[in-house]
Amino acid sequence: MQTGTKISAAGHGLLITWALVGGWFQAEPLPIESQDVSIISLEEYERLSEQRAAPVVTEVPAAPVEPPVTETAPTIPERPQPRPEPVPTPPEPVDVPVAEAEPEPPAPEPEPEIPTTVPEAPETPQVVSELPRTAEPETARPSDRVAPEPVEAPEPDTTIDDVVREEVAPDAGAEANLPVQEATAPEAASDRIVTEAEAQEKEPTAPLVASRPKTRPQRPVPQETEAPKPEVETAAATPEPAREPEPEPAPVEKPAPEAEPTPEVESSAVNDALAEALAGGGEVEAPEPSGPPMTSGEKDGLRVAVSKCWNVGSLSSEALQTTVVVAVSLSREGVPDAGSMRMMSSSGGSAESAKQAYEAARRAIIRCGSTGFDLPADKYAQWRDIEMTFNPEGMRIR
Amino acid sequence: MRNAVATLLLGLAALLPAAAVKAQDGPLRIEITDGVIEPLPFAVPNFIAETPAAQQLAAEMSRVIAADLVGSGLFREIPQVAYISPYTNFDASVNFTDWKAINAQALITGAISQSGDRITVRFRAYDVFAGQELGSGLQLSGTPDGWRRIAHKMADTIYSRLTGEGGYFDSRVVYVSETGPKNDRKKRLAIMDYDGANVQYLTNSESIVLAPRFSPTGDRVLYTSYESGFPQIQVLDVGRVQRRVLSSGSGTMTFAPRFAPNGQTIVYSQTDGGNTDLFAMDINNGQAQRLTSAPSIETAPSFSPDGSQIVFESDRSGASQLYVMSVGGGEPRRISFGQGRYGTPVWSPRGDYIAFTKQNAGRFHIGVMRTDGSEERLLTASFLDEGPTWAPNGRVIMFTRETQGASGQARLYSVDISGRNLKPVKTPDGASDPSWGPLQN
Repeated sequence: MQTGTKISAAGHGLLITWALVGGWFQAEPLPIESQDVSIISLEEYERLSEQRAAPVVTEVPAAPVEPPVTETAPTIPERPQPRPEPVPTPPEPVDVPVAEAEPEPPAPEPEPEIPTTVPEAPETPQVVSELPRTAEPETARPSDRVAPEPVEAPEPDTTIDDVVREEVAPDAGAEANLPVQEATAPEAASDRIVTEAEAQEKEPTAPLVASRPKTRPQRPVPQETEAPKPEVETAAATPEPAREPEPEPAPVEKPAPEAEPTPEVESSAVNDALAEALAGGGEVEAPEPSGPPMTSGEKDGLRVAVSKCWNVGSLSSEALQTTVVVAVSLSREGVPDAGSMRMMSSSGGSAESAKQAYEAARRAIIRCGSTGFDLPADKYAQWRDIEMTFNPEGMRIR
Repeated sequence: MRNAVATLLLGLAALLPAAAVKAQDGPLRIEITDGVIEPLPFAVPNFIAETPAAQQLAAEMSRVIAADLVGSGLFREIPQVAYISPYTNFDASVNFTDWKAINAQALITGAISQSGDRITVRFRAYDVFAGQELGSGLQLSGTPDGWRRIAHKMADTIYSRLTGEGGYFDSRVVYVSETGPKNDRKKRLAIMDYDGANVQYLTNSESIVLAPRFSPTGDRVLYTSYESGFPQIQVLDVGRVQRRVLSSGSGTMTFAPRFAPNGQTIVYSQTDGGNTDLFAMDINNGQAQRLTSAPSIETAPSFSPDGSQIVFESDRSGASQLYVMSVGGGEPRRISFGQGRYGTPVWSPRGDYIAFTKQNAGRFHIGVMRTDGSEERLLTASFLDEGPTWAPNGRVIMFTRETQGASGQARLYSVDISGRNLKPVKTPDGASDPSWGPLQN
């Protein structure tokens, strides 16, 4: 009877876990991206491909294109001879306002009147945990390079490289038996474009968002009431764990190790554990192990790796409004197969802008994947084929 | 009971792998939303001289192409000392590995030959990381003295293939050359390549000239001259350096002219009896038509690229602001509402933006806004910035910047519409009032 109860309890527990974790054990919701897809027929795609592949380098360029350079060659004559002009008549002063003719002197514009009413003096300053937003973040400074993360300018002698390395001088290297190497650091970057006008703006000391004045003057009483609050919270929190030890004594040994991983369950960790467990069962049937699904951290790593090389600085305005989906297959070493790369779809622009956006995306994948993306080898089946959506919407406003 | 439970568990276990497989079906999908904005690195080895006479041009041409691309702010040249393998044969296949190793994302190769009074240039552009050519190779020919234009044309082609939008390197700028101290400044019209090369003067400095404006085809220039003692509009044939007065009527002052996209109509300001309004004129028959009739000052008109609308500045609201009106008439619509005063609006050749001068809090700015006045963005700030003009591709703006003080001098500057790549344009003397012409044929 007890054995039956145990089996029943185990079965129910399994069912409940199954239901909680996600029904059909989906590692994460299937990507349901609603996106306008313009389907390119095979013929069109081949035609596009042919245009790029058409010229053969080893042959003499095709029919010589006779540009109109020579025909329309500079029609500018030689420096015109100063013609004898009538006696110069000094221009008479003109009263008419000629906006384009004479730039107005930069006389200071009438300043807006300073309000005569002064806002009420603020009350006693209070420590607020959340600082109001200021106008200019510290990182907003002019830089040739705009990247998701601002980077401080490296030392003048430092070599620019993605990998940060400290310098090892010949002497130091000899003492420590280390190979001599130059100091490297990433190139300086700002996280947004800063125009001259913005750069010259005085850094405002006042916050953009004013904190609301308090409805009631600060009194000592609230301090007393505020202080106990944490105690109340902790008091409320402590009884809960206090309850746990009470039922624990009976099933001391076994429930404890099970309870340890559960307190801070992350969905990815659960998915990993489940996927690992499931992978064992699937091995028998599947010819190639699919491996556990990619965790969100691993996906983020791949996303960041590609982002570093996705340079949209030379794209046209229209291409910056075009989102492209690029499919690529990776080798087991994580190196993209350039031949497998293709544009699955595009939206938001013309075919020409989609082509430019796709080429920038392709360059990003090839460049940053040239040494192989850092991906878990045991999950190769999960990342062998990837569809990357390159959405420059956030880059336009920088 | 046991059997039932065991059967249930086995059934569940059998379903689990199928569910797992289903969950992992299809490719991995990720979305990239953050990238970087930085100049694209490229390499352009010196062109190969296929004849001894072309030796000097071979190096100079590649330098002009590199300067064009780098000057756009969108590209960065990799120094030639970093090249791994020498470039010796135009027709040989490219070893992309060597160029990848130095992170050259684009490669430009070329060869030049000279036969008599004719040079022939061949060039190709490659996407290094894709390992393929960008478009087809091209061959251009011309006279040796036009080698800079050939180089600009090649740079335009490469720029277009890499960015997807038209270039602007094979274009010219007409401007007012300024010499002498501020209180006795000599002004004359000059024309130059967009990069400041090949400066030629179109007028002498006997009379004041202002605000030259290129025609849509670049063969004529409108400008305001004080030759008669008061401002009058003249049109100058750039090729023959012949000019004629367009405005008629003694005592009327006409200024701030600009061509319509059709090249036959001009719009300008005319002052009668102390009031300034906008007029349009057919330059073939000289017939003028009044466009505005208001007691305020209307000036600095500029056509939209399709010729259907005009943007201009007016002080009808008290301070100078920007307005848009239909060419066919109708009530002008105010589009500028920020603090300060707005002036000298110019419609982008792409039709998407209007560039303007803004004066606010004692400083001048060059800015851009959408044609409805939204998305205003100030690109520059200085003691005196004014008079923007658009590059033919609508991505770059050139303007006048004058420094403060008695020794202050006017210079030309250019800036990308994103606000990046602000830099001076090299001119032999002081320069103001630029007007960027179209791409040359």
